[in-house]
Amino acid sequence: MLLHTNLSSTLEWAGVTPWFGGNLNIIFAQIRKVALAEVEEIRVRVGQPLLLQGSGRDIFLNALGVPCRQKEAYLVSRQDLALTLERVTQSSLYAAEEELKQGFFTLPGGHRVGIAGEAILRGKEVQTLKHISALNFRLAREIRGSARGVIPFLLKSDGDFCHTLMLSAPRAGKTTLLRDLIYLLSTGIPELGLRGQTVGVVDERGELAGMRQGIPTYNLGPRTDVLDGCPKGIGMSMLVRSMAPQIIAVDELGHPDDVSALADALRTGVKILATAHASSWDEALHRPILKILFTEKVFTRIVLLNRQHGPGTIAGIIDTLTGRNLYEETRLETIGTKAGLGPIV
Amino acid sequence: MLILGCVGLITGCGGIGLIIAGRIRRRPRELREFLTALSLLDTEIVWGATPLPEAFASLEERVERPWQGFFGELKDRLLSGESAAMAWKGVVRAQSRQFALKLEDWQVIKDLGKGLGQSDRQQQHKQLELVQRQLALLQEQAGTWAEKQAKMWSYLGFLCGLAGVIILI
Repeated sequence: MLLHTNLSSTLEWAGVTPWFGGNLNIIFAQIRKVALAEVEEIRVRVGQPLLLQGSGRDIFLNALGVPCRQKEAYLVSRQDLALTLERVTQSSLYAAEEELKQGFFTLPGGHRVGIAGEAILRGKEVQTLKHISALNFRLAREIRGSARGVIPFLLKSDGDFCHTLMLSAPRAGKTTLLRDLIYLLSTGIPELGLRGQTVGVVDERGELAGMRQGIPTYNLGPRTDVLDGCPKGIGMSMLVRSMAPQIIAVDELGHPDDVSALADALRTGVKILATAHASSWDEALHRPILKILFTEKVFTRIVLLNRQHGPGTIAGIIDTLTGRNLYEETRLETIGTKAGLGPIV
Repeated sequence: MLILGCVGLITGCGGIGLIIAGRIRRRPRELREFLTALSLLDTEIVWGATPLPEAFASLEERVERPWQGFFGELKDRLLSGESAAMAWKGVVRAQSRQFALKLEDWQVIKDLGKGLGQSDRQQQHKQLELVQRQLALLQEQAGTWAEKQAKMWSYLGFLCGLAGVIILI
């Protein structure tokens, strides 16, 4: 199953162009022969060709905004990058201080801009980045209905939601699927007997809701409360105390604080919907932080994603109590039935 | 007719003198108002880490004219994608005629635009503090100067009118 089959993104080149300064602004203003829907990342590196990356293909752009060969591509200048940085920070580098320490910041709409440069350290911690040499614009998309096929696997027979963790390598569609799951859980699906749930979202990186001055860019449903820009560890406890959610949703678990906050939240009976980086189930089992969660059997469903057929390919949905891959079984059953062979289990 | 002409000349010259005096009195007021705005901007940057367009929008609501228009245009220029330094320079050039400030005041104000938004909060605070100190000094000097000059121009206008009347008669 591919998440991008029902792509309902409204992002156009005209919406992307204002992010870029200098000649890049001119190039994106006149871009031709490239649909934004094909592009996942825009790579801006000083002295290197301007590069768009899509699912499995690289597109170089020349000074006229036309796809070309690598040696004919427009080479990004230092000034282009400096002016672009000014635009994306709204000329307010001080306001992006914390984000610079983490190496990325989030644009309105939940689009993430990765930054590479020279790290300035204070002790063992990165204080800031200077001489910034590369930016990576990762385009976020809202794909309505992408989680519809997944959600039946995440419900118990009584319609109760299972603690769920989604695992994938970067750029495999975790955040997009999480966003749609939040929407569906918040809205409810009467056909599945799922009533709308109160969902609390801790949006540490501002990617899930794409909050802009308190207003979400993405519709996360009518029963969703968003705590924006707050570390997950603190945010989960805050939401449990203040908004009484039935489900707490967080993106990219990985910090030791997240585990203790999860344990606290579980004690209150709240359900957890989370994502984490791991390219496979085996890799996740060997990651120290995730290992604790698996040993404690916190999650009863693991959704595995990869890019085999493009971003958002569901590789499996594992029931951790039985170790069975529910999604694989269902696919085999369907194939078997269609071929007149009967269910294969 | 002659009397009416004399009265007109005195009133006209006196009026011009009063206008000039009024403009001179505006300078310390405008400097004081700008110092208040800088203090608010400092709070927005240091405590709120508010991006400049939002900070300027907040200043636009909280300061009096003509600074209201100054910060309003700055906000618009930043939102249209102009860099802070360019926007600041452009607004100073476009709006300086609406103010009663002198060249030396504008020199300090112009310098502020050069590093605005381009460093961390601590550096921004230092830069704003420095400009505030320089402007406070100018405001102090302007206060004493304006009082004397304004008084002089108020009298001078009427006296010129009177002198004109005497010469004509």
